[in-house]
Amino acid sequence: MNTASNLALPDLETALPQELAAELIEIARSKGAEFAEVFGEHSVHTSFAYEENRLKTSAYSVNQGLGVRAVIGDQTGYAYADGFSPDDLREAARVAARIARGAAGNGKPRAFRVVDAPWPFRLERPAPLALDEAGKIALVERANHAARGHDARIHEVWVTLADSSKSFVVANSDGLWAADRQFLTRLTVSALAIQGAERQEGYSTGGGSVEAGYFESERNPEEIANEAAATAVTLLGAREPEAGAYPVVVSPGWGGVMVHECFGHSMEGDTIRKQTSIRARQMGQLVASKGVTIVDSGIVPHSRGSFRVDDEGTPAQRTVLVEDGILTGYLWDLLNARLTGNRPTGNGRRSSYRDVPICRMTNTYIEAGTHPPQDLIADVKRGLYCKSLGGGSVNPADGNFSFQVTEAYRIVNGKLAEPVRNATLTGNGNDAMLKIDAVANDLEIDGSTGSCGKDGQWKPVGVGQPTVRFRAITVGGTST
Amino acid sequence: MNDPAAEAMASAGLEAVAASAVERARRAGADHAEACVQSSRSFSVEVNGGKVETLKQSATRGVGLRVIAGGAVGFVSSNDLGPERLDDLARRAVALARLSTPDPANALPAPAEAGESAGADLALFDPAVLELPAEKKIELALELERVALAHDPRIRRTDGAHVTGGSGTTVLANSHGLTRTSSGTAMSAYVVPLADDRDGRQQTGAYGLTKRWLTELPPMEAIAREAARRAVSRIGARPVPTARVPVVMHPDVAESWISEMLDAFSGESVIKSSSWLTGKLGETIASSLVTLVDDGRLARGVGSAPHDGEGMRTRRNVLIDRGRCAMYLYDVYHARRAGTEPTGSAVRSYSSIPGIGSHNLYLEPGSETPEAIVRKAGRGFFMDDQGSFGFNSVTGDYSFQAQGFWIEGGEKVFPVDGVTVASNSLDMLRNVIAVGNDLRWEGSVASPTLLIAEMTVSGG
Repeated sequence: MNTASNLALPDLETALPQELAAELIEIARSKGAEFAEVFGEHSVHTSFAYEENRLKTSAYSVNQGLGVRAVIGDQTGYAYADGFSPDDLREAARVAARIARGAAGNGKPRAFRVVDAPWPFRLERPAPLALDEAGKIALVERANHAARGHDARIHEVWVTLADSSKSFVVANSDGLWAADRQFLTRLTVSALAIQGAERQEGYSTGGGSVEAGYFESERNPEEIANEAAATAVTLLGAREPEAGAYPVVVSPGWGGVMVHECFGHSMEGDTIRKQTSIRARQMGQLVASKGVTIVDSGIVPHSRGSFRVDDEGTPAQRTVLVEDGILTGYLWDLLNARLTGNRPTGNGRRSSYRDVPICRMTNTYIEAGTHPPQDLIADVKRGLYCKSLGGGSVNPADGNFSFQVTEAYRIVNGKLAEPVRNATLTGNGNDAMLKIDAVANDLEIDGSTGSCGKDGQWKPVGVGQPTVRFRAITVGGTST
Repeated sequence: MNDPAAEAMASAGLEAVAASAVERARRAGADHAEACVQSSRSFSVEVNGGKVETLKQSATRGVGLRVIAGGAVGFVSSNDLGPERLDDLARRAVALARLSTPDPANALPAPAEAGESAGADLALFDPAVLELPAEKKIELALELERVALAHDPRIRRTDGAHVTGGSGTTVLANSHGLTRTSSGTAMSAYVVPLADDRDGRQQTGAYGLTKRWLTELPPMEAIAREAARRAVSRIGARPVPTARVPVVMHPDVAESWISEMLDAFSGESVIKSSSWLTGKLGETIASSLVTLVDDGRLARGVGSAPHDGEGMRTRRNVLIDRGRCAMYLYDVYHARRAGTEPTGSAVRSYSSIPGIGSHNLYLEPGSETPEAIVRKAGRGFFMDDQGSFGFNSVTGDYSFQAQGFWIEGGEKVFPVDGVTVASNSLDMLRNVIAVGNDLRWEGSVASPTLLIAEMTVSGG
């Protein structure tokens, strides 16, 4: 079994010819819906999971189907069918149509025009296709070997290589026809260190929408494994954080998960249209410190959050949300853009054909500032340097956020001191970006790690920032 | 599909697919094979601003095929149940198994080992959920939002009211001749009112629940009022200074904590020493007030099932017995590794390989009322909501963003937010000094109100 031939994606336009798509759109609009859309998808996932020094599971899954959406005003009807049996697709279209209660239909689109968006980057040899099983397993074994060899206190190692290959086609009653192929690979390493009665875990990832050669030329399995193992070992003997509010410096790259949660979610068009976000009334106002520029861009090369067209067929773009502290733009999907008279920004995304597209971020990051990163630490008498963050969440309605800090260091008199574990950062997103008092010049975008959950749908995203300092954030901990 | 005859026919169809998948895997070279075939339907309504925002109909089918060949495991899944796909899946599963490492503990249960369970006593299927017309579900969701909006003038909008009803059937078959079928229904309703606070801020109150039977769902009015009460009660919330104080955990917060702790009881985590309960079996790890149970056989339980994800009969497992760490949970593989018996704890969907999880996880109630517990706390923090990340499953460390009320003189005196609450689960378990009498089921995890003697609340 050779991956390259076995995982090749089928031509969806055979399963969903344009005439059938047009017929489904007509059915979906048969009760008066103003807008209808079909989204057909074929996806393949493979994974290899290594633990206890053995390849425990090798897995493969294949799924395909089509979702139909009918919209009237701000009301949406949605139904889907697994597979591409025309009768099942017609039934799904009839169910979606029922959101409208009229008798007269709005007909077929006259003709489809194919969206011809530029590729944000090209993949010559996408890793999911170009690496065969033996090649993928070799990466996993190398990571396992490296993590175990890092330190005698590494007791257990988990490595997973998971990839997906997906092709989709989307067509709508405005005559849009768009297709895309998306390839993602992620190598994840967790390492458990034990010393006496103490145990600590470290975690690292690599990958993205990458070439087969990425794991040699960009980030090899040994590098990823050593990061995970080094974190686990560092945390052995780390101290508990001091509870209270004080200056916090957050590392570049994945630290951008803070701007994603604290700020990005409140800029999504659904919450803006419904006025449930505080940002809905802040266009043109100062929402972040001077010197802070925040961007959402679907065209970052090789990131998990990038694509050529979104799941509604809108080309990916770079949207400036905040320029030098001033709110300048929101994120829009088709529905919310149409209802508010805005232009879609390529942020209509869905987990699969089984899900209604909703407004989502792509790659969200703070642009580079001018300070050398070490200056941000040198100014701090007593603070916390967060080297790696775990998960984070926000309630967009009230703005409350929290982040798990997996690896941190105390800052004492401008220098990094002892490692700190189990810190939690909390606060309110409404003013978090106003608490930034310095932005360094070392921007990194993490396109390997992130998955964002919203309304029960998970979607890959990128996040990024340079080293950033917050004047004060509430740090949770047990030491007072 | 409203009538039982059609339901039975559909189940028979799924059983045929499962049997056929197992047979194809055997022909493709598997020594043992197990198929999990699932079918589910649901209809969901979301309303916002007094009208329907989204109606969604879901109908999902799929097959997962786990094979053991040469002692090693391969796993495949698809939503395509056609014969050509099943042949392709069977071939791939065997080929993948040949790449994996052989392990003598890999095994599937034989029918005698798995135990029999018809499951009728569990009462998991309510035909009324399926018979409830779409129009009625829309009415319920509209009512839910209307009552929440009418509760207080400061509630001017919601983040939506949701009603979902559905059913599902799972068939499990393996090459030892085991076949197990179960069906269930579920109905859920929740609403998220938003209350205006000072300075353009707003406060969220969310409340909802899931039941298997339509008649067990409380009136929409009661759900809406509870959600609205929560939103309004948070108006004016502020941080408090950092302090070590007693913490009263609202049942929602206590439920999240016991869910987070579950992984420490997984036999897999214990075997790998990645559990903070490694080596603690038989030891006293908690106050004698604490009894933690996972019961797969509660009648009408949202997490109940006649058998687990490998076909083992489910059971009632006592994880902490009056403070003592009484057992760990095992699927078939990890039970063989540990030299013990499986505990009916394999959980899965068709698209995932079985893993160790819980069914209906709960803390046994005590005798004190929630009000008496707040009085007992005297001065401290009443925690009734939290952020999503803050638990370390390797160390048991607990550190969550929290909302709630400050307690002074045995009473809740003002709403609090912008704080975190931290401790370690072992310390927290030993420091449980009161357990409420208010256990109630709103999903598949439940807890009464708890009083923890001391935790660190960090504020400004």
